Amino acid sequence: MDTEPAVPRAMSSRERMAVAMACGRADRVPVMCQLSLGHVFLHSGGDPVEIWHDGEVLADALCTMQRRYGFDGILVNLPGRDPDWRARVARFESADSGWRVHWRGGRVTDQPRDDNPHVTAADGKPLTVPLERVDPESLFYVEPHDLEGLRTIPPDGFPPWQCDTLRAVRARAGEHVSVHAEVFSPFTQLLELVGYQDALLALIVDPGRALACLARLAEGAVHLGRRYADAGCDALLVSSAFVGAGFISRAHYERFELPFVRRVVTGVKELHPALPIYVHTCGAIGDRLDLLEATGVDGIDTFDPPPLGTIELADALAALGGRVFVKGNLDPVHTLLRGDVAAVRTAVRERLELAGRRGGYVLSSACSVPPRTPPANLLVLREEVERFDA
Amino acid sequence: MLAQLAEAIRSHRPESIAACRALAERALAAGVPAARIVDAALIPAMADVGRRFRADEIFVPEVLVSAKAMQGALDVLEPALADAGREPFATIVLGTVQGDVHDIGKNLVAMMLRGAGLRVVDLGVNVAPQRFVAAIDAHRPELVGLSALLTTTMDAMRATLDAIVAAGQRDRVRVLVGGAPVTAAWAMSIGADGHADDAAEAATVALRLLGR
Ligand code: B12
Repeated sequence: MDTEPAVPRAMSSRERMAVAMACGRADRVPVMCQLSLGHVFLHSGGDPVEIWHDGEVLADALCTMQRRYGFDGILVNLPGRDPDWRARVARFESADSGWRVHWRGGRVTDQPRDDNPHVTAADGKPLTVPLERVDPESLFYVEPHDLEGLRTIPPDGFPPWQCDTLRAVRARAGEHVSVHAEVFSPFTQLLELVGYQDALLALIVDPGRALACLARLAEGAVHLGRRYADAGCDALLVSSAFVGAGFISRAHYERFELPFVRRVVTGVKELHPALPIYVHTCGAIGDRLDLLEATGVDGIDTFDPPPLGTIELADALAALGGRVFVKGNLDPVHTLLRGDVAAVRTAVRERLELAGRRGGYVLSSACSVPPRTPPANLLVLREEVERFDA
Repeated sequence: MLAQLAEAIRSHRPESIAACRALAERALAAGVPAARIVDAALIPAMADVGRRFRADEIFVPEVLVSAKAMQGALDVLEPALADAGREPFATIVLGTVQGDVHDIGKNLVAMMLRGAGLRVVDLGVNVAPQRFVAAIDAHRPELVGLSALLTTTMDAMRATLDAIVAAGQRDRVRVLVGGAPVTAAWAMSIGADGHADDAAEAATVALRLLGR
């Protein structure tokens, strides 16, 4: 007896993202942008202080934004939060420009209405540590976004709530949305720990110590990536923002970032071979796509278009030859923030024409969506991917 | 010796940081006037570093090493420069405007300006217009440099210029603006005197505004 030919069913967002991240062609191009926290503060309707400090509230806000914009995935870009965080607060202050949280330990968080909070020590000094005072052997992971600021986490030192926000997002978003977690690349961790300038200087004046730190920080990232995978993320973003040609040479990338991101990828994949892992590198990456690919990642994110970036999407697709998935390329500032709906539509169509039929493409802003991006501009992305395949 | 010093600055090798101090000391001991060491070694070397940075031949870490080496030599020379009555020929008050905390680029600009022989008063990041105004009163600079990396804080650039005008300081200073989103057209529209795309050009434009 003949069976009916299977009626093609629309994929769920999670399936669609999974196909694209495996470089395949889904029922339509998936769409998923990384939102700046400022955008979430301004547009989710939640209380910004609560969103930053409380993982459950952040989870609500992220899911609200995902539903509003029709995104196929959510990036959970903050760690879980201590459920008892209020007990550590001495007092709150509010001003026109935002809020200030005074911690019992003396640190102070300044939280603008539309931007990332910033934590300083009681004496107003930055929390970075001079490289010569860092013992590489004691390092494991550097968390820049802990509630009380920069925090070095020793082996086995991740708090019990580390994965709670991820779990809360999964519980709210359900089984049909792709949920991504984020770890910082060893290089990013080092820059956050010792300060951008000193870390960059160290590549030349103290490379041995820098390399020793990076080797340790890679282990922390492996450990955290595995924990997020255990907690059910569908993909892992490795934030590697400071390694474009605006910062370092190819040679320095090869020596100070490539082997350590590769270690993160292989380390996580040892236990989670099917988990897609992608790097997020902003700015000028046109001269080093081969090196990014050599880290072993499944995908590359942002592809800032020129002038910030240095490669056009068509050339990037040709260079990568469908071996890794590509996410991004919509100019966050000139198109999404400053453009109107018509300009966004044109830019989206251009991307879809170039990348939409070949699979392995996730429509997204390059880098994060700036805080004051008009929501109407973001709605165009989903509209256009649906129209494109219809 | 001067050629060696210039070469050490250009080399951005780790040992150049210590070497430049030693070479500056040796040059002074050999009777070379401090001003000549600055003019014949430090400034041309840093100009060269700036050119290579613009051409993507070297990157931020290399510039940082060169700038640190240059600064080491300058520290050695400064007492002698002061004795000889040679002050830096101009001062710039520099800062990242209010609401903006990006400073990697601004710091590079400060280094290149020092390399070009200016005194730099660096106000840091998130600098309110009134702090620029107060610093102009306190330091009497010829130049003011404003950095902004965010399109949203470009408006703070305009507000800073307005505050400088309101304080009656505008005819005393020339204003130079920069940062990734800042264009020449924007600079003109807010009434700035100059604009540069990168740290090397910042030094060139600063010298031009000073009539050098
Ligand atoms: C590093 C960085 C950060 C770091 C800053 C650390 C620090 N201490 O500086 C952190 C993580 C804190 C950060 C935060 C944010 N950032 Co940011 N950041 C960057 C990044 C990756 C690099 C900037 C940089 O340092 N470049 C290297 C230096 C050497 O270049 P440069 O700054 O352009 O400087 C050169 C020239 O511009 C010029 N110049 C600079 N200043 C001056 C001044 C004068 C007088 C002159 C003449 C010349 C001049 O000379 C310099 C040297 O050659 C860029 C993206 C990119 N790849 O460029 C985004 C970027 C600048 N950031 C951006 C955004 C949106 C943010 C946030 C709002 C993100 C958020 N919260 O979600 C916050 C805002 C924080 C704030 N209130 O300022 C956007 C800005 C978009 C826009 N145009 O509005 C960018 C472009 C990323 C993007 N594609 O969206 N960021």
